[in-house]
Amino acid sequence: MIQLFRVSKYFGVIAALKDATIRIRKGEFVFVTGPSGAGKTTLLRLMFGAEKPTEGQILINGINLGRVGGSRLDFLRRQIGFVFQDFKLLHRRTVLQNVALASEVGGEKWTTTRKKTHQLLRAVGLTAKEHAYPLELSGGEQQRVAIARAMVNDPLILLADEPTGNLDPEITRDIMILFRSINLRGTTVVVATHNKELLRNTDQRVLFLQNGMIHE
Amino acid sequence: MRLWLYYFKHAFESILGNRLIYFISTGTISISLLLFAAFVLISANFNNWAKSWEKSLSLSVYLENGTDAQEKDEIAKAIERVDGAEIKAFISKEKALKDLAETLGSQVGLLEGLTKNPLPASYEVIFRNRELSREELKNIKKSLEKVKGVDEVQYSEQWLERIEGFIYFSRILGLIVGGLLCLAVLFIVTNTIKLAIYARREEIEICKLVGATDWFVKIPFLLEGAIQGIFGALIALSVLFFSYSMFRVRTIQLFGLPVMDVTFLNAGQYVLVVFLGLTLGLLGSFVAIGRFFKF
Repeated sequence: MIQLFRVSKYFGVIAALKDATIRIRKGEFVFVTGPSGAGKTTLLRLMFGAEKPTEGQILINGINLGRVGGSRLDFLRRQIGFVFQDFKLLHRRTVLQNVALASEVGGEKWTTTRKKTHQLLRAVGLTAKEHAYPLELSGGEQQRVAIARAMVNDPLILLADEPTGNLDPEITRDIMILFRSINLRGTTVVVATHNKELLRNTDQRVLFLQNGMIHE
Repeated sequence: MRLWLYYFKHAFESILGNRLIYFISTGTISISLLLFAAFVLISANFNNWAKSWEKSLSLSVYLENGTDAQEKDEIAKAIERVDGAEIKAFISKEKALKDLAETLGSQVGLLEGLTKNPLPASYEVIFRNRELSREELKNIKKSLEKVKGVDEVQYSEQWLERIEGFIYFSRILGLIVGGLLCLAVLFIVTNTIKLAIYARREEIEICKLVGATDWFVKIPFLLEGAIQGIFGALIALSVLFFSYSMFRVRTIQLFGLPVMDVTFLNAGQYVLVVFLGLTLGLLGSFVAIGRFFKF
């Protein structure tokens, strides 16, 4: 599903990722961990096509990211849900509109979009706040909106960058159950986190990143 | 269809969200298009006037001295055979002299030394319901001059040349002024849309990150430009029509004589102004978004 072949990413002279070769199979659940600045976000952004590798090749579902652009990349992104560390919510749109956006850009029917959006808002516990604006929500609530938006298109791959960073332990557990359930339905899930608690209790694969180098 | 509703909804939302900028921008477009429409109105009226003047062109068919009644009849018949030609009057030698004396007024003494009347008799010919080119007039002149008893045929060629020159000049001026106004509108729309894009650059980035195509992001901006252009044109036409109705000038008079009938724009000219507004609005948006997205 996700393959990286000797991928390096440099920002000027600083190496964010060095000679990384990773293979993540369809339906796998993988944690990426490491200290701050280790390159976790860069790795996820490379998998999403938001960054281009300086060296190496990245294949997503058999598609070489280095060779796609324009509308093919847009189409591919609709099959990848991304939970951004800084949420990237539209402040002038309501919670409902933010979640629906990812479905709307794909031209989905409004009735389908609305149904899916409501289901996900119920799943992340935000039904009561569907008409609120992001700035009226707490950091944890905003994060849950971002998670719901990433899942609205039933993505083949879900990439989450520190998805539980602002959540209390109870909601963190609920979110992880949500990720697990979407993973059980066949979605490949990659979660970047430095939450040691999450990793301590997991039997999932863990990739450890340090100074841009990957260790299994 | 649903997508188009989305595009229109977001275009209108953006316009309402940036009311002041769009109000100023649409107002400026209106002023530019108002000047353009006023120019079209004036130019169209001058054209109509020139055409009506051409329609009322007259010929003077001068007869040779000593032309008898039968020859006069033959000449009259030859004139009436010309399509659209109508004899307005026959001016005898005596009448011609009398008219000249009246024209000279206080200087009538100039005619006192004349031993015989030097002026020829003539037929004054007008053309009804027919527009004549200079080429056609030349041909009519040639054919009538071949008729026995006709000395010379004259028409107001100089006037025709002047009118044609005036129309040509006004068209060139129109193109220059119109071109400059179009550039101004284009500049205004481009800058307004650029401001709108700057204000929403984060939204554009997020839309792209969740898989929106470039066109999904661009179309609302194009619609914003088109809406501005159409509104600008409609406001311009309304102001022009209001001014036209207010002044109630239907006929321009010179020395008490009606010279020119003033009419408002016709349906085709209405459509032209609106279409121009729409095109400039779309083009302005296209230029603005082209700087942010690579086509």
